[in-house]
Amino acid sequence: MSEIAVETRAPALRVSGVTHAFGAKKALDDVSLTAPSGAFTALLGLNGAGKTTLFSLITRLYENRSGAISVLGHDVRQQPTRALSRLGVVFQSRTLDLELSVLQNLLYHAALHGIGRSEARRRSLAVLERVGLAARAKEKVRALSGGQMRRVEIARALLHGPGLLLLDEPTVGLDIGSRRAILDEVRRLIDDDGIGVLWATHLVDEIEAADRVVVVHKGRVLLEGRVDDLRARGGSEDVGTAFMAAVAETDRRDKAAEHKTDTAA
Amino acid sequence: MTTDAPPRRPSRTARLLSASAAAAALLAFAGPASAEKIFVSNERDHTMSVVDGATLKVVETIKTGRRPRGITASPDGKLIYVCTSDDNRVEVYDSATHKLVKTLPSGPDPELFVLHPSGNPLYIANEDDNMVTIVDVNTGQKLAEVPVGVEPEGMGISPDGKTLVNTSETTSMAHFIDTATNQIVENVVVDSRPRVAEFRSDNKQVWVSAEVGGTVSVIDPATHQIVKKLTFEIPGVTAEAIQPVGVKITKDGKTAFVALGPANRVAVVDTETFAIKKYLLVGQRVWQLAFSPDESRLYTTNGNSNDISIVDVASDKVTKSVTVGRSPWGAVAVP
Amino acid sequence: MSLVDRAPAPLSEPLPARDVTFGGYLVCMGGIVWRESLRFVHQRGRFLSALVRPLVWLFIFAAGFRATLGVSIIPPYETYVLYEVYIAPGLIAMIQLFNGLQSSLSMVYDREVGAMRILLVSPYPRWFLLVSKLVAGVAVSLLQAYAFLAVAYFWEVQPDSLWGYLTVLPALILSGLMLGAMGLAMSSIFKQLENFASVMNFVIFPMFFASSALYPLWRIQQANVLLWHICSYNPFTHAVELIRFALYGQVEWTSLAVVSGFGAACLLAAIYAYDPSAGLTGRRGGPDAAK
Repeated sequence: MSEIAVETRAPALRVSGVTHAFGAKKALDDVSLTAPSGAFTALLGLNGAGKTTLFSLITRLYENRSGAISVLGHDVRQQPTRALSRLGVVFQSRTLDLELSVLQNLLYHAALHGIGRSEARRRSLAVLERVGLAARAKEKVRALSGGQMRRVEIARALLHGPGLLLLDEPTVGLDIGSRRAILDEVRRLIDDDGIGVLWATHLVDEIEAADRVVVVHKGRVLLEGRVDDLRARGGSEDVGTAFMAAVAETDRRDKAAEHKTDTAA
Repeated sequence: MTTDAPPRRPSRTARLLSASAAAAALLAFAGPASAEKIFVSNERDHTMSVVDGATLKVVETIKTGRRPRGITASPDGKLIYVCTSDDNRVEVYDSATHKLVKTLPSGPDPELFVLHPSGNPLYIANEDDNMVTIVDVNTGQKLAEVPVGVEPEGMGISPDGKTLVNTSETTSMAHFIDTATNQIVENVVVDSRPRVAEFRSDNKQVWVSAEVGGTVSVIDPATHQIVKKLTFEIPGVTAEAIQPVGVKITKDGKTAFVALGPANRVAVVDTETFAIKKYLLVGQRVWQLAFSPDESRLYTTNGNSNDISIVDVASDKVTKSVTVGRSPWGAVAVP
Repeated sequence: MSLVDRAPAPLSEPLPARDVTFGGYLVCMGGIVWRESLRFVHQRGRFLSALVRPLVWLFIFAAGFRATLGVSIIPPYETYVLYEVYIAPGLIAMIQLFNGLQSSLSMVYDREVGAMRILLVSPYPRWFLLVSKLVAGVAVSLLQAYAFLAVAYFWEVQPDSLWGYLTVLPALILSGLMLGAMGLAMSSIFKQLENFASVMNFVIFPMFFASSALYPLWRIQQANVLLWHICSYNPFTHAVELIRFALYGQVEWTSLAVVSGFGAACLLAAIYAYDPSAGLTGRRGGPDAAK
């Protein structure tokens, strides 16, 4: 019971003070952010900003050596089993087994979460229904379009009933129609099930006015807030222009700082 | 003739034999009474190894005369006959006590012999003087000598005992001898160095192996015609290494086993179709063959690897090889 | 979407954060083995090449050399055996060596993409996922080994008794675990081995040739004492001998100890290397480097 209490109070995802380096290069520098339940949080950043590294740490591919990451109040380092069991992920790269059928892919994933066969079947069909692909359960994944594969991956991420859904640039390589459909699908999940979503992207047009935005650049969080906050920061009504302005300003400041240290030396 | 000459070291032999007999008596108590025994003549050791059929271990090594080669047993299995070639005689042993019972004259350099199906007489090939010597095993009397080709060796007798076939290595002939008259009735030319002659139980075929020729001639004893000349091909083995010697045919007449000498293989042959069913890998330079009394096993003597291999006849598989004395030449199994 | 109403379980609620149960462990391992077998069955090419490789050795190499192997009876054989019979255990071990390295090295390729990530976000402990993956690899290698034995049977390469096919099973499981664990450990430790061709050159060939797979140790000893020492210490030799004796219903205790010990050591190394906190995965150059 107390577990449930912890979960209802805690945000879907909380990252605080996480720094991660590969050798000398800092991929993440003191990153803190929150993705509340029942909300769409966009993680906005250019390629190489550190989004994927952050996802790797949240999914515990690597362990964070500093700071803390918790999923619905469960620290991924202290309680990895609980944290991971509350987490659904759609990776940027395709992670479906092309040789297997849609259903087989889902059943495998269910097994990885310890869900027994009959329950796994029931859930698989339910989530496929939900993303409108129940009719293709027996088909090989290879036969699906890119957009359909993404929807299967979303269905798979939902299979074990996560409280947090992570999506790493899920629309890359998809046409406009598929992009739209997937966004709508995810937003509907938030409304229906109240789960928290962290959506990493570099495409500003995927963000809606009501969304929360976290802007990352060169491993640092530039801004965390509403879309309006980004507009104000970038000094433009257009989100894209505002984003680029914020990024450019940071680069400028970095260069100046570098210059200063150089001259000081 | 030296056939009746007593050996020069009787006392020593006797001592050894009595010691062996005592050991054998002890062993007879230890082991199952009905277990079969395999007697193997070791050409270079001047001994005979006795292998227990149940444990497949050498239970005794009997000192024999010099250069024991051909070996056979009386029909009841109680006596073992051994050609001791360099002592120019045949030694007779008790298969239970392993004791030398008596010696028989053989003519010079006896190599191979065959017993009449009734158990008497014994037909002996004398390698050195081109004769077949016929000896009464009860009286020890030489009954007759039949002149044959050069270097007589292989001896086969028909199941009814009426026809004897001797092969002469240098003449490359199979001599068909009428045992009633002791006269050669026909000579059949076969391939080079014929070694062994073996009748099929229905008297319709006699198989003659030719060591150098690399073939086995199957002869119809009624017409004296070669009905089939078998050749052998083994992948990975050169043709020169294929030297057929020992031949044994099952009592049902269906299957023949042919030892192929340095090819280290025994060929399994269907006697009706003459198809070679299988080549069994045994020890080196496989020479002679012997069936167990119930024909469930075939024993092969492997002259260069100093062991015998045991073939399971039902499955055509070699199950084991057992080290015996040096240069095992022939073998016989008795109940 | 009206479908939501029909969905029997609201998807966020029924599986709250939980501690995994023993049954869950079994389900998880079962799922990993099931998927691996399914993939194997689907990949006919892989199955065929896994089968053809040892059969080529058996039919062509062994046939060519059948007469040249020194004739001597060595345990567990009780009589002279054809060269095919002699090298069969070595070829089975070779199947497992290839399979172990292949399935483990696929983890290297998959680390940043595909199956590996899905596997590693499972809530089960990392060590357990690795062991499951290993078990799955062994299951597949057993399929291959028995397929090979079945073909070999018709080539008259058979153990003394049909029981041999049963008694060899524990040996195959052990050797499969050892070779799979070795592959796992290597996949985590050696970055350079990400290329399968170099794995062939630097691991599979030396291990295979410097072992008792192709020649009995006494033969190697006659030829070269140093090589003989290398072969005697090569864990692959012991995998081969374990299988060889087990096919004849016997246990080669030294090999059993070496295979178990070396396998356990490799597995521990792999678990350490893949552990997200202690391990090497995080220090390996970031996800961008891997792309």
